[in-house]
Amino acid sequence: MGSNAKVKVRHLTKKFGDLLVLDDVSFEVGDGDLLCVVGPTGCGKTTFLNSLTKIYDITSGEILLNDEPVDPGRHNISYIFQGDSTMPWLTVEQNVRFGLDIKGYPEARKREQVDKYLDIVGLDAYRGYYPKQLSASMLQRVGIARAFATEPELLLMDEPYGQLDIELRFKLEDELVKLWRLTGTTVIFITHNIEEAVYLGNRIMVLTNKPAGVKETLNDDLPRPRDITAPEFVELRNRVTDLIKWW
Amino acid sequence: MMKIRLSRGMIDVLSGAASIGCFLLLWLALTRHTGLGELIPGPDVVLAALFKGLFGKVGRHGILVHAGYSLARVLAGFAIGGAAGVVIGLSMGWSRFAEAVFQPLYRVVRPIPPIAWIPISIIWFGLGESAKVFLIFLASFANVTLNAWSGARDADRQLIGAARMLGANQRQIFLTIVLPSAVPQIFAGLQVAMSNSWATVLAAEMVRSSEGLGWMIVTGMSNNDIVQILSGIVAIGVVGFVLSVAMRKAEALLCRWNHGGR
Repeated sequence: MGSNAKVKVRHLTKKFGDLLVLDDVSFEVGDGDLLCVVGPTGCGKTTFLNSLTKIYDITSGEILLNDEPVDPGRHNISYIFQGDSTMPWLTVEQNVRFGLDIKGYPEARKREQVDKYLDIVGLDAYRGYYPKQLSASMLQRVGIARAFATEPELLLMDEPYGQLDIELRFKLEDELVKLWRLTGTTVIFITHNIEEAVYLGNRIMVLTNKPAGVKETLNDDLPRPRDITAPEFVELRNRVTDLIKWW
Repeated sequence: MMKIRLSRGMIDVLSGAASIGCFLLLWLALTRHTGLGELIPGPDVVLAALFKGLFGKVGRHGILVHAGYSLARVLAGFAIGGAAGVVIGLSMGWSRFAEAVFQPLYRVVRPIPPIAWIPISIIWFGLGESAKVFLIFLASFANVTLNAWSGARDADRQLIGAARMLGANQRQIFLTIVLPSAVPQIFAGLQVAMSNSWATVLAAEMVRSSEGLGWMIVTGMSNNDIVQILSGIVAIGVVGFVLSVAMRKAEALLCRWNHGGR
């Protein structure tokens, strides 16, 4: 990929005391990619994402976004967490506005973005509701709308659908693909669900067991909308499954 | 048969009224039909004296004026103690440096009951209003500080991470995440602080004052006037109840999100 890569990770290493969690990880993500990262449970996927965003200080290596060291204060990055991360004291509308307020967008632009993304995730009728009044899937949709509303250069998602039932997961996965294609945002999506990775990604990166390193990166250019029963889908899923096995 | 549907608020009011009514009836029955009547007057006598005191005088003032004096002292000390507690508690919860500086001092001062400060407050401030306000300040400060401290310290790390990812600086994280997170705990601390303030104002007025509900009780004791003592106690209960309801309303308004309602 080389010089036109959006994200460049070089020799990323993370230790907690003596415990080596990430071991010399290097990879690149192209502009507009939806990269799914899969790996065995407990291999350090969340640590990997938190190191990318500097929630954790890295032990060594470098992470570049647009050829500059990544900095959430300077770069436009959004993060969707495993669990609900809506602010309970803000309404749905205020939650979606949150990032726009922080970044100091003009009022007219804020209104435009909030209206647009509330409409896309189907929460327009619930804009005055508080998170306590919403279901789990609605809360995740608020998080998704908030993340996309700032039109980030890079969107990081840490197993956002892991706690949802299968029907909601399928719905939200389709919603994500729709938003990704609409906005062209570069997305790094962490999951332990291989089917989800094959369904969503245009590239799939497989991590090794702890200490995590990159085992292989695969292109996933299956046609969309994807059919999880199609032979080529099953074949790619089996290939990723074989790569992920560490036993 | 016609069914009457009552709102939740109406049910709460009726339940409260029924509970107080039952208590008064029990009190009345015990004073009329048992030996308790030899020790204390019935509620009819106390309420009549209270009613008379509202329009007449107990000492130099009516009961409303006495309640006003006590309330003014409570609100002054409570406001200063509450404000100081919120500022210091939030600082301790947000800044490790502030926590390191204030925590040892706070842990020493917190267990000391406010009434233990009475002699020192008289030496420092004399017998006037300042000493009473100082004691109430101490009574409210400790609880509010503790709750603001834990509220800020326990702010959800994931929400802080989400705000940071969206580009929030430290000031924005404090104002948009830490402060709102701490509000419910601060209110809980303010409720306890208000109760402590009432208890302390009475102690302060019993030491030296010429007005206030505490003064009513002390002079009632000096004159062996049990009706005046009970009138003072009932007046304290009524004012405390009104303040508690006001605090709950304020909390419900400011923390609508925490009550699951719009």
